Amino acid sequence: MTDPNTNTIDANEAVASVAYRLSEVVAIYPITPASSMGEHAEEWSTAGRTNRWGTVADVVEMQSEGGAAGALHGALQAGALATTFTASQGLLLMVPNLFKIAGELTPLCMHVAARSVATHALSIFGDHSDVMAARGTGFALLASGSPQEAQDLAAIGHAATLRSRVPFLHFFDGFRTSHEIQKIVTLDDATLDALLDGDAIAAHRARGLSPDHPVVRGTAQNPDTFFQACEAANPFHDSCPAVVADTMDRFAALTRRRYRLFDYVGHPEAERVVVMMGSGAECAHEVVDHLVARDEKVGLVKVRLYRPFSMEAFIEALPATARSVAVLDRTKEPGATGEPLLLDVTAALVDAVARSALPALPRIIGGRYGLSSKEFDPPMVKAVFDELGDESPRRRFTVGINDDVTHLSLTVDETFTTESDDVRRAVFYGLGSDGTVSSNKASIKIIGDTTPLQGQGYFELDSKKAGAMTVSHLRFGPATIRSTYRIAQAGFVAVHDPGLLERVDVLQRAAHGATVVLNLPGATEGAWDRLPRRVQGGLIDKGCRLFVIDAFAVAERFGLGRRINTVMQTCFFALADVMPVEAAIEAMKASVQATWGRRGPEIVRRNIEAIDAALAELHEIVVPTTPTAPESTRLTVPDDAPDFVQRVTRLILDGHGDRLPVSAFPPDGTWPTGTSRYEKRAIALEIPIWEPDLCVQCNRCSMICPHTAIVTKAFDPAHTAGAPATFRSEPEGFTPEFEGLSHTVQVAPDDCTGCGLCVEVCPAKDRTQPRRKAINMRPAAEHRDREREAFEFFRTIPDLPRTAIPDHPRALALLPARFEFSGACAGCGETPYIRTLTQLFGDRLVIANATGCSSIYGANLPTTPYTTGADGRGPAWNNSLFEDNAEFGLGIRLGLDANERQARALLAGLAPSLPADLVTELNAPQPTDDTARQRQRDAVIELRRHLDTLNGPEAPTLAALADSLTPRSVWAVGGDGWAYDIGYGGLDHILASNHDVNVLVLDTEVYSNTGGQQSKATPLGAIAKFASDGKETRKKDLGLLAMSYGHVYVASVAVQARSRHTLKVLQEAESHPGPSLVIAHSPCIAHGYDLVHSPAQQGRAIKSGAWPLYRYDPRRTATGEPPLVIDADPTSLPMRDYMEQEARFRMVELRDPDRFTRLVRAAEDAVRERHALYEQLARVSYPTGPGSSNGEEAHDG
Amino acid sequence: MADLSTTWLGLDLASPFVVGASPLADDLDALGELVAAGAGAVVLRSVFEEQIVAEEVAIHRFVDSHVDHDAEARSFLPESATFPVGAESAVAHLERVRDAVEVPVVASLNGVTPGGWTDIARDLAAAGAAAVELNLYDLATDLDETSADLEDRQLRVVAAVASAVEVPVTVKLSPFYSALPAFVRRLEHAGASGVVVFNRFYQPDIDPDELTLDRQLSLSTPAELPLRLHTLALLHGRVDLSLAATGGIHHGRDAAKAILCGADAVQVVSALLQGGSAQLVSMHAELARWVDDLGYPGLRDACGAMALRNVADPHAFERINYARLLDGWRPPRSEHRHG
Repeated sequence: MTDPNTNTIDANEAVASVAYRLSEVVAIYPITPASSMGEHAEEWSTAGRTNRWGTVADVVEMQSEGGAAGALHGALQAGALATTFTASQGLLLMVPNLFKIAGELTPLCMHVAARSVATHALSIFGDHSDVMAARGTGFALLASGSPQEAQDLAAIGHAATLRSRVPFLHFFDGFRTSHEIQKIVTLDDATLDALLDGDAIAAHRARGLSPDHPVVRGTAQNPDTFFQACEAANPFHDSCPAVVADTMDRFAALTRRRYRLFDYVGHPEAERVVVMMGSGAECAHEVVDHLVARDEKVGLVKVRLYRPFSMEAFIEALPATARSVAVLDRTKEPGATGEPLLLDVTAALVDAVARSALPALPRIIGGRYGLSSKEFDPPMVKAVFDELGDESPRRRFTVGINDDVTHLSLTVDETFTTESDDVRRAVFYGLGSDGTVSSNKASIKIIGDTTPLQGQGYFELDSKKAGAMTVSHLRFGPATIRSTYRIAQAGFVAVHDPGLLERVDVLQRAAHGATVVLNLPGATEGAWDRLPRRVQGGLIDKGCRLFVIDAFAVAERFGLGRRINTVMQTCFFALADVMPVEAAIEAMKASVQATWGRRGPEIVRRNIEAIDAALAELHEIVVPTTPTAPESTRLTVPDDAPDFVQRVTRLILDGHGDRLPVSAFPPDGTWPTGTSRYEKRAIALEIPIWEPDLCVQCNRCSMICPHTAIVTKAFDPAHTAGAPATFRSEPEGFTPEFEGLSHTVQVAPDDCTGCGLCVEVCPAKDRTQPRRKAINMRPAAEHRDREREAFEFFRTIPDLPRTAIPDHPRALALLPARFEFSGACAGCGETPYIRTLTQLFGDRLVIANATGCSSIYGANLPTTPYTTGADGRGPAWNNSLFEDNAEFGLGIRLGLDANERQARALLAGLAPSLPADLVTELNAPQPTDDTARQRQRDAVIELRRHLDTLNGPEAPTLAALADSLTPRSVWAVGGDGWAYDIGYGGLDHILASNHDVNVLVLDTEVYSNTGGQQSKATPLGAIAKFASDGKETRKKDLGLLAMSYGHVYVASVAVQARSRHTLKVLQEAESHPGPSLVIAHSPCIAHGYDLVHSPAQQGRAIKSGAWPLYRYDPRRTATGEPPLVIDADPTSLPMRDYMEQEARFRMVELRDPDRFTRLVRAAEDAVRERHALYEQLARVSYPTGPGSSNGEEAHDG
Repeated sequence: MADLSTTWLGLDLASPFVVGASPLADDLDALGELVAAGAGAVVLRSVFEEQIVAEEVAIHRFVDSHVDHDAEARSFLPESATFPVGAESAVAHLERVRDAVEVPVVASLNGVTPGGWTDIARDLAAAGAAAVELNLYDLATDLDETSADLEDRQLRVVAAVASAVEVPVTVKLSPFYSALPAFVRRLEHAGASGVVVFNRFYQPDIDPDELTLDRQLSLSTPAELPLRLHTLALLHGRVDLSLAATGGIHHGRDAAKAILCGADAVQVVSALLQGGSAQLVSMHAELARWVDDLGYPGLRDACGAMALRNVADPHAFERINYARLLDGWRPPRSEHRHG
C-alpha cells in the first residue's frame, strides 16, 4: 500500500476540493473544461460536506458567468469567502466584475481551466488566451502545470489573497491538466488550516457591508480623484509577490513541496534558457533533465506568479550565465510586438540591465506553441533549445505546426524522445459509449491506490456526440511523471472497438514488441484473417504480440450490452504486467462494487461475472510473417469529392490534421458546407432495411431520423434506368399529386447511428407477422455493401423541384433536407427540427446558432452537415457566442435588410432602363409559395442579364446585390440554456423589436452540451446537476412571456409525436412578418431513458400536460379570433405516468417516494394552472374597432 | 361482536381480512383507514425481481454509459443520483408503513430465479416485515424447461428465501400445477410456512385492429372464488402450512366460505380498490354476523369445517363431482334466469 494521503484524481477535482473547503459561497456557470469543478462543489454541498468553518458551502448556478461574477462580487462584499470556476468566454464575461473586485482589493481566489477564446472558430481546448485577456484586471495570476501543482497552488492562492487583499486567478491548462488524472499527495484539512491567516479572514469579514457599520463602495469618481485612488492600491500589488513567496515557503514547511515565484530547473550554468508557464513547462522540465544529463547547459524558468510580475524575482531565478532566452507563450496576440509573457520577460531583462542587476542583455526570442491544446512534446522543446543555440535564431517563431505561409515555425526532429524505460505506457482506443475511459480511470486509481507506482492518465475525447472515438494514454512509473504529452511509444495497445481497426491507424503509437489486444467479434480461429491489412502489416513490422477477445460476446453473455469495459480492463491487467493479476482482479471487483454497488447487486454481479469470464476468452494469436488480408481499396473520401475535401478534409479524417500546413486553412474561419457526406463513419451495428411490400409511404421514418440517414424520395421512374439491383422503389400510391412517380426509402448505411427511431415510428406491419414492419433493424455487416451501392445510386437521382411537392405534411417530408449526417447523439431529439427547417426553408435559410450541442454537431470539424441542393443553395450558418445569439440573428436580419434596401434603391434608379414588367415582378410583395419564389429568382437572373448590358457604376453594384431582392429566412437557433438563461435578455429584446427574426429553441430542459446542469427550462421534479434533489420550482414559461408582447408568433411543438403540427408551426412562424418563437421539445440522453422510446414518451409529455402544444398567432386578432389555439389536451394521462419513465424524475422516486409524490402533485398543479390560464387566453375576446387591429390579414394556417 | 381473531403464519391477527399485495398500501392515510375498518394485516405491493433487474440494467445502459462519453460532458445526471435502483425504496416504504400501522406488515416479493435478489428478502425482513410473501408468478415459455424443471427451480427460490430470513415465508401460487397438493408438500419441506391461493394472471388481451397487446388490468369477481375454495379444502389439515385465500373475496360471506374451507386469512384487493374502507367495514360486519348467526364461539372454530377431511360429502371436492355436473348440464333456455 502507498501513502494514505495520496489520491488519483484530475486537477479539476483536486482544485475544487481545496476551493470548496475554503469557501462559503460558490457561484458558478457551467463551461467546458471547468464545469466539473462546479459539479464537484455542488455534489459536496448536496452531501452536506462542510468547509473549514464548519458550514456547508452554498453552491449557486447562475444564468451566465456574468451573473456568477456579480453574485461572487456581492458575496465578497458581504464579507463571505467565495470562489468560482470558469474558462474561456466565461472568464471574459466575468472581466467587468474582476476589475471591480480587484479595484476594491477584495480577497478572492478563482480557478480557471484555461481554454481558447473563440476567434475564427470556437475551441473547447486549452491555451492561455482567456487568462491573458484578463491580465489587465488587477488580479494576481497564478499558473499550475500538473494536477499536483494545481491543488497546491490553489491552496496557496486562497491563502495569499487573504493576506495580500489582491484577488487571485489561479489557472491551469484546460483538458491537459484539468482532465489529467495523476496520483497526487492530497492536502488535508490541517494543512489548509495552518496555511490560512485567521486575522486576514477576520479583516475580510470586518470589511463586509453592514448596516451596523455602514460604508459606501462603488462610488462615481471624477477626473480630480480617480487616478490617485487607483494609485492608492499600489502598495498592495507591490507587496503581493512577497506575500505569495512567503505563503509558498509556509506551504513548503507544511508539505515539503516547494514552489517559488519563478522555479528554475536545469544546469546551474545554463546558457540557453526557456521561460514558460502551464503544463508545457512539465514537458520542458523532462527535456531539460534529459539534456542536462547529457551535459548540455540548458535550463527552464517556470513562471508561477505571472501577475504581479516580480522582475527582481525573475532575474534572481534566471542563471546569470544565460546567453539566450526563449519565452514560450500559449496564446496569440495579433499585432503585438510579442506575446504577453515575452514582453514581460523582455521588460524584466532590460530593466535588470538598466539597473545593472545584469551585466548584459541575453538574446531574447519568443514563440507561440500549443494553441487549443495543440500537442507540445519533447521534440518541440528540443527544437526551441536548438533554435536558441543557433547563430541567428528567429526572433519570433511558432513550434508544433508547419507554417508555410509566414514561415515562422521551427523544424522539429520527431525522433527525439525523453520517455524513460522504467515508465510503462499503454494506449487504448475505444468509443465514448463503451466505458473505456471510465475503466481506464478506474485502472489508474487501482494502480495508484494499491502500488507505490506513480500514475498518469490523459484522455482524448471527441466532440462528436455519437460514435465518438476516445484515446486513453496511461503511464505508470516509479517517479513523478511529467510527460504532459501523448504517448508515442506504447508497450501496450488495446483496441476496444473493432470498427476502429479500419478507420484509425491503431498501431501508430505501438512500440516495437508491444502487446496488442483487440476486441474482435467472432471465433478466435481465423481471427488473423479478419484483420485489415494495415493492422496485419503493423503487427508484423513492429514485432507485436497479439491477443484477441470477443468482448462483445462476453458482455452480452452477462447482459451488459455493449459495455465491454470491465472485460477489457481485465485483459489489460492480465497482459500489461503493471501489478499481479490476482491482486488487480480483486481490486477491480472492489472497484466495481464501489462504483456500481450504488446501482444494485445485479449490475455488480454481472460485471464481476464478466471479469471472471474474461481471462478464459482471451487468446494469443501467433503473428505470422506475412499479411494475408487484401490491400484495402476503400478511399477515405471518394475521388469525385471537391478539391478542398481531397486536400484538407481527407487528411483530418485520416487523423493527420496535425500535419496540415498553415496554407491549407482558410484564414478567416470560412469553411465549405456539405462535407459530412464524406465522413463515412459506419458506426451502426444494425441499420434499417426497407420492406417495400409493406410500406405505406407515410415518410415518418425520414421525418424522425436525427441524422437524415434514412431518406424518402419521390422521383420520375425514368431515373431508375441503370439502377443496380440493390436499389429498390415502388410506384407512388398514396399521394395523388405524385401519380406516375416512384417512391423509395433509402438508408445511408455508413451514416446511420442505429438508433432505431425510424423502425419505432413505422406504422406499417405485416398482418401475418406483426413484428415485421416496413422497415426493420438488421445487422449492418450483412447489409452494408448492398445498401452502400443502393445509396450511391440514390444520391444520383435528381430531387423533385420544390414546386412539384404539394403543401401537405406527408409530402413535405419529401422535400430534400439541407442538413445531413451530423455528429449528434444517436436518437437526438433536436436534429429533426433542424432538418425540417432546412427542408422547408433550406434554399433561403440563414441560421444564427447559439453555442451548445447544436453548434457542435452543426459545425464541428472536420465536416459540416449543412449542405446545398443541385442549385447550390442551402443554409448559411454562423455561431457567434452562447449569450448573444438572438442579437446576432437580429443583426443578420438588419444586415440582410440593408442589402435589400440598397438593392431596391438601385433598382428604382435603374428602373427606367429595365423592362417595366421585370421591375414590377421584382417589386412584387414577398412571395409566400415556392412557385412565386421561383418566379422571383428567375426575375433576378433576368435582371442580371439586363444589368450586363447597362453602363454606369450602379448596374454591377445591383448585380452583386440582386439576390437580396428574394426573401431570406432568418432563424436564431439554440438550446434552452441560451434562450431561457444566458441569452434571455437578448432574446427578449429581439422579440420586442418587431423585426422578422424567427427563433427556434431546442428545449432539452437542461444544459445538454456541458452535461446536464439545470436551466430555467428544467421542469419541476427533474433531477439535474445543481438540482440534485429534483427541481422544486416551475419551468419558466418562455412562451407566455413572449405572448405578452402581443405581436410575437409563439408556438410550442413536439416533432417526434406530432410532426404535422410541427410542420404547420414552422410554416406559420416563418410566414409571420414579425418575430416568431418556436419552443421545441427535444428528447435528450440527459433525460435518462432509451431514446428509441422518445416518440411514445413525448406523447406522454403531451398527454400529461408536461409539454403543452399551442400556437399563438397575432394575425388571428385581426379577425376577432383569440390569438392562442391550444393543440393538445393536457389531461389525458396522469403526470406520474409520464414522469416515471425518465431517470431524471424516477431517481427522485427511488430515493424519496414521498418527495416524488409531492413533486408530482406540484407538477400537476403547475400544469393545471398553466392550462387554465391558456384556456382563458384561448377564449379571450379583444375589443375590436379603430386602432385595435395590427392591420395584418388573418393567416389561414 | 363475534371473535374474528385468527392466527396466520404464526401472527395473531384481530381479523382474517388482510389487505393484499397491491397499491392499496402505498398511501399511508388510506391504509390507516383500512386498518381502522378492520384489516388484520397488510401485504405491501410486490417487489418484482424483473423490474428491479430491468431497471438496474436500463439505468446502467442509459445513464451510466453516458459517463466519460464526450469531451464536454463528464456525465448527464448528478453523481448523487447514483444510488440504488434496487429495493431500497420498498424497504423505506415498509419502514414507514410499519411505523404507521399497528397490524403486522408483510412484504411481498415476486421472482422466479434464484439469485442476488433474495438479498432483498433479507433487507425487507430486517426492516421489520412480519413475514415475507413470495409470489411465484411464472409464465412458462421455455420449450426446454419441463414442469418438473420449473417446479425444482421454484423450490430452489423458496428455499433460498426461506433460509435468508427468519420470519415466516408464505408462497403465493398460481392455480396451474399438475399436482398441486404434492407441490405444496414440497414447498413445506423447502421451508415455506404457508401458501396463498391463488395468484391472478394479468394476461394481456389482444387488440385485433392494431395487432398489439392490450395490457388492461381487470379486477377479480366472486366468480373466481370456487377455484380457491376447492384448493383450500384439499389442503387444509393435510399440510402443516398456514393457508390464505386471495382472489374473489368481495363480501363477508366470501370470506366465510374461504375460512370454512380452511383459510386462516383472506386477502382482499379488488373489493377494496372498488369500495375502499367502507367496503371492508361492511365485509367485516357481514362476517361477524355470520359467525354469530351460525353460533360459532369464534372464527377459529369455523376454520376448515368444510375442508375435504371434514365435509359431509367429500366427493363434491373430487373428480366425481365434475362428472356429475357435466352430466347435469343443459344448454340455457331463453327464459333461463341466472341465480
